[in-house]
Amino acid sequence: MSNPSQTTEVQDFEPRIVAFLCKWCSSAGSDLAGVSRIQYSANATPITIPCSGSVSPMYILSAFNKGADGVLISGCHPGDCHYMEGNYLARRKLYLVKELLQFIGLESDRFRMSWVSAAEGAKFAEVVDEFVEDLRVLGPQNRLKAER
Amino acid sequence: MEKILRQEKLREWVDTLDDCEVYAPAFADSVWNFARVEAGTDIDLSHTNTIGSVKAFTFPQREVFFRFEKKDGVPVLTPTLPDPKPTVVFGVRPCDGRGMPRNDTVFNKEFEDPYYWARRNKLTLVGLACNQPHSPNCFCQSVGGSPHAEEGLDILMTDLGDRFHVKGVTAKGVEAMERGRDAFDAVSDADQTEVDKVHETSRSYPQRPIGDLDAISEALRESFDSPLWADMAQHCIGCGICTFLCPTCHCFDINDEVISPTTGEGERVRTWDNCQFPDFTMHTSGHNPRGDLGSRLRQRVNHKFLYFVENHKTQQCTGCGRCITECPVGIDIVAVLERVGQS
Amino acid sequence: MVNVEEIRDYAAGLLEKGEVKSVLGFRRGSASAFAEPCTITNVGEAASLVWDPTCLNNLALYLVKDRKQQAVSKTPDTRPVGIVAKGCDSRAIGVLLQENYFKREDVVVIGVSCEGTGVVDPRKLSAKLKGRTASRVTFAVQGSTSVAGGRTPGATDGADGINVSVYGDETETVIPAREVLADRCLECRAAAPALNDVVFGNTVEARDFNEPFHAAKEAERLSEDERWATWERHFDRCLRCFACRAVCPMCYCPECVVDSTTFVVTLGTSAEEKANRIRWCERSANTSESAVYHLTRAIHLAGRCIDCGECERVCPVNIPLRLLNTKLEKEAFEMFEYQAGHDIEQASLLSSFRDEDPNSFIR
Repeated sequence: MSNPSQTTEVQDFEPRIVAFLCKWCSSAGSDLAGVSRIQYSANATPITIPCSGSVSPMYILSAFNKGADGVLISGCHPGDCHYMEGNYLARRKLYLVKELLQFIGLESDRFRMSWVSAAEGAKFAEVVDEFVEDLRVLGPQNRLKAER
Repeated sequence: MEKILRQEKLREWVDTLDDCEVYAPAFADSVWNFARVEAGTDIDLSHTNTIGSVKAFTFPQREVFFRFEKKDGVPVLTPTLPDPKPTVVFGVRPCDGRGMPRNDTVFNKEFEDPYYWARRNKLTLVGLACNQPHSPNCFCQSVGGSPHAEEGLDILMTDLGDRFHVKGVTAKGVEAMERGRDAFDAVSDADQTEVDKVHETSRSYPQRPIGDLDAISEALRESFDSPLWADMAQHCIGCGICTFLCPTCHCFDINDEVISPTTGEGERVRTWDNCQFPDFTMHTSGHNPRGDLGSRLRQRVNHKFLYFVENHKTQQCTGCGRCITECPVGIDIVAVLERVGQS
Repeated sequence: MVNVEEIRDYAAGLLEKGEVKSVLGFRRGSASAFAEPCTITNVGEAASLVWDPTCLNNLALYLVKDRKQQAVSKTPDTRPVGIVAKGCDSRAIGVLLQENYFKREDVVVIGVSCEGTGVVDPRKLSAKLKGRTASRVTFAVQGSTSVAGGRTPGATDGADGINVSVYGDETETVIPAREVLADRCLECRAAAPALNDVVFGNTVEARDFNEPFHAAKEAERLSEDERWATWERHFDRCLRCFACRAVCPMCYCPECVVDSTTFVVTLGTSAEEKANRIRWCERSANTSESAVYHLTRAIHLAGRCIDCGECERVCPVNIPLRLLNTKLEKEAFEMFEYQAGHDIEQASLLSSFRDEDPNSFIR
């Protein structure tokens, strides 16, 4: 039963998430999750950005190209943007990115967006945990990954 | 060696080439292109001309030269010389066939390109004569070719309706025919008369004339600074269709594709490049000696009808007409030559 | 019914009065039965202008080219340019005006309504002719086999014909327009140029072809795995000739992210710096890199693509690129009530937002 060679690929597979986090909210939220000693998956590589509105679709495509299993964009709740409207612009732009990725047949669970404030350490942990579980089911991302 | 192959025996012959990768034209997504023939499937030789030329078999759009990585701080290179299975390509039109020796010259003259020749030496080209032009833009006869030219081909097939006349041109071609010898019949006198007639008829269709090729070279030399180039390229959009589809365009770029900067892992890759792109001649300083589309059109035409002639004593154009048919804005190399010739 | 003589006279008039420095239009080409773009600068050349279902190009591209040339010219000629524009072409001019690429007074739009038809898709026509080549293509009056240049004014049933002669065989066949029209024309919502200085031809409101975004909706219906199988095949065969980018009037960036020409190499640039330079997309024409290119381009055209379908037309390997753009225009229309090129005063799609924009996809 416990023969390690029989463990399936899915169990071995540790999804790699690239998480673009707004420095004013979600990045601080992830720090809060850390200092609050909340246990959550260590699969996300955080990249701090000035605002979710500053996310170029190139970042997302590039992450998938370089082998990310999932990409998370997290910014401030509507109304809370440090720059007044960056997250509204992000919402519209990233909605289109999401639709486009689905249109060409990338698994829809691989791209995710969340609103996480600096006070929501617990929510950040939940978002990452849920994402990791969904990606585990999907397995490695091979569709947009460069074959090098 | 000359033989007759009944249409229904084509399959039988192809099946004897079972240790080879066999390619033939296939119509997919509304274009003809060479595709791998899976065992047990039929070959359709009713194609016009493939959109991509046969050059990709010896000069693929992406060729890995070697892999590199850093081990204990020391760069380690791993060569990746291709070692393909013997490859047989069916349905090669004579214009593409004539492109091959021209590419051979380029990849052999000053330096024998091992990547090119690793593929080339394993390649057998089975040509199919054109019984009539596929397009009004065909002009093989105007550049010294013919609809049943054998140059560059290992085998030339001619469609006689219910059967093919098959001629082994090179030793490689004869060997491929030997392997399927049971599929072939002898050529009767009637067959020979018919094949000669088909060839003669195929040459009789009007093709777009270019005139005296030496005079064209001279006219191009004289017209280097002509304002005609800017005028003729006025509507050029600077895309790569003409050169990428060309059976003889062979310019390339070499890049390092880095997988991981931390481990220093990556590949050195050769990819097709294109004299119509602005960065083709871009200097590091930002200066571009061929900054406008007129000079790039001139480069492409001069390379085919002047520089190549100076270097290798033959035109680098085989008259397939792809660049004319596929140009999105109607730039027409025959019309270009005509205008330069008249100027 | 569009009388080409009127277009010629109008163009000649503009040039004669010196109101424009040149007129962008279509003329017969030497390469095929399809028209080619031309720039005429004197009255005499106006007679070479043509108008028929082979006038495929979106000439707005050349307004952009002219702008770029004038910007670097030592003696710029800033006089207006006249342009023959179909419905879609006029929307392209609309987007360029919206983006302040040039000013309204810089361009004289000679609008031509496609009325009840549009332009021919060369591949559909070739398939229809079983691989033979057309030598002449004109609009036909329904049911007519004559060399008629005209068509039924105000016809709305989409049954207008395209009159075709075949190379090497001068008999004429009338093919129902819907069988050979380009997909974009079948889905066109505004075949008459709304932005214009003059329009030739009637405005045909109801065109009974396909619903808007028809092809994109069909593609959406496939399952996820089928969609990927399709696009993997498409991205895989892309040659990266960049004709789609080169032909697009909206792709006017002086430098594209997929070309890395801004990386300055000096004597002091180390191998590490070269290796680590940002390359969003490698030059290799393989699936992953071509996907980055096409998806980036699609997103960059969101809210800007006016569906002239040029990208799809010019693709030598026939990748249905238009689908990527129309998919996003469909979302823009359905979710954000946005239509590219319809209002030159509106804020662009991605620089504006509404409180009621979709939010439920966000965790």
